[in-house]
Amino acid sequence: MPSLVAAVTSEERPEPMLPRPFRVLSNRRETPDTTTLAFASEDRVALGFNPGQFTMLYVFGVGEVPISISGDPNDPTILTHTVRSVGAVTDAIVGLEIGDLVGVRGPYGVGWPMATAEGRDLLVVAGGIGLAPLRPVLIDVLANRDRYNEVSLLYGSRSPTDLLFREDLHAWRARFDLNVEVTVDRSGEGWFGDVGVVTGLLPRVSFDPASTTAMVCGPEVMMKVVGSELENRGVETGSIHVSIERNMKCAIGFCGHCQFGPDFICWGGPVLSYDRVIERLRVSEL
Amino acid sequence: MNLKMIREQSELLAALSNTELEFFESVSREIRLAAGEILFEEGASADTFFIISEGKIGLEMTIPGKTPMTIQTLGPGDLVGVSWYFPPHRWNWRARAMVDTTLVEFDASQIRGRCAENRDLALEVLGVVAGEAVARLHRTRVQLLDLYRSV
Repeated sequence: MPSLVAAVTSEERPEPMLPRPFRVLSNRRETPDTTTLAFASEDRVALGFNPGQFTMLYVFGVGEVPISISGDPNDPTILTHTVRSVGAVTDAIVGLEIGDLVGVRGPYGVGWPMATAEGRDLLVVAGGIGLAPLRPVLIDVLANRDRYNEVSLLYGSRSPTDLLFREDLHAWRARFDLNVEVTVDRSGEGWFGDVGVVTGLLPRVSFDPASTTAMVCGPEVMMKVVGSELENRGVETGSIHVSIERNMKCAIGFCGHCQFGPDFICWGGPVLSYDRVIERLRVSEL
Repeated sequence: MNLKMIREQSELLAALSNTELEFFESVSREIRLAAGEILFEEGASADTFFIISEGKIGLEMTIPGKTPMTIQTLGPGDLVGVSWYFPPHRWNWRARAMVDTTLVEFDASQIRGRCAENRDLALEVLGVVAGEAVARLHRTRVQLLDLYRSV
């Protein structure tokens, strides 16, 4: 891990607390409470990122929140975020219109370990809005498909109307080199897909536990259950990676708001290996 | 019905000795359902059970005056039904084919009879059936948490 001092004195990020202006290019409603927005920087400087990283999005006069990047890591000219409306700032983000200006800091955090997954089977397990930080993984993997063995996406959602990235899901399902399984907790009329928790999909896909990397993102209970099930099936806990969410404020490892045991999630995370956090996930109110 | 084809997929069949697998084979047959067809009705006598070889079965709760609600789906290799093993041997759910589905149907009374004569077999079968029931209970509890709701 690079030192904190190096981070804040780096010439690449001379003013880590100073947002850069970005303008909204598009705003697409995914579900009744979730929207995907594309932004472009006003200073024309590209914002490269690794899958799993996040930015701090600042709605002027309202506030700043950490949001995972959900776009294409191979196109640094467009910054894409998928945001669920859960409070004042995210309400304001979801309500942004084309041409509106926001402040952006980042990208920050440790992303998914893409390099260590190469040459192995890859399991991408998402729950709810957790598909957003994993979408860049899938885009990158499909752009470099020959680097990976079996690749599977298991996605659990609350209901059919809560499914994110429907166009992507249709396109991914049509591919022969990607296994896609989707389940919902509550079905509705016209739903002919699976019903049940996402771990119920594991027997449907092929993977070699001894050579599998799993990337898991969703509510912490879901990640705990998936991690446990994968461990039972022989996947090494060090090869399971989860994305932890905490109350990030500074995003550069100073303020301590996002402390999770010995880790500052904004700096050491949000992606951490399951074996590092397994005990902490069993502690209430941590 | 040749059960060796689906043995690897099914935890129950994988637990059986070759001799017992032959017995299970002798009391089984293949059935095919078109999408939407009912496999069994809630409250009916559970005198058979099934293993899915291809397709998908939805377990439904019938709700008077409303569309039935699918509470769980099962796929290839999955055991359809655990009620056949435990008294009073009645289905608690309706089962319906979600897509065109092929299953192996077993005569539950014959297998219960065989288990009554063979304690080792009874323990093997009980281990798988109870294990499946526990796994489903665990998954249902997680499902009830409604983890993906908006805060």
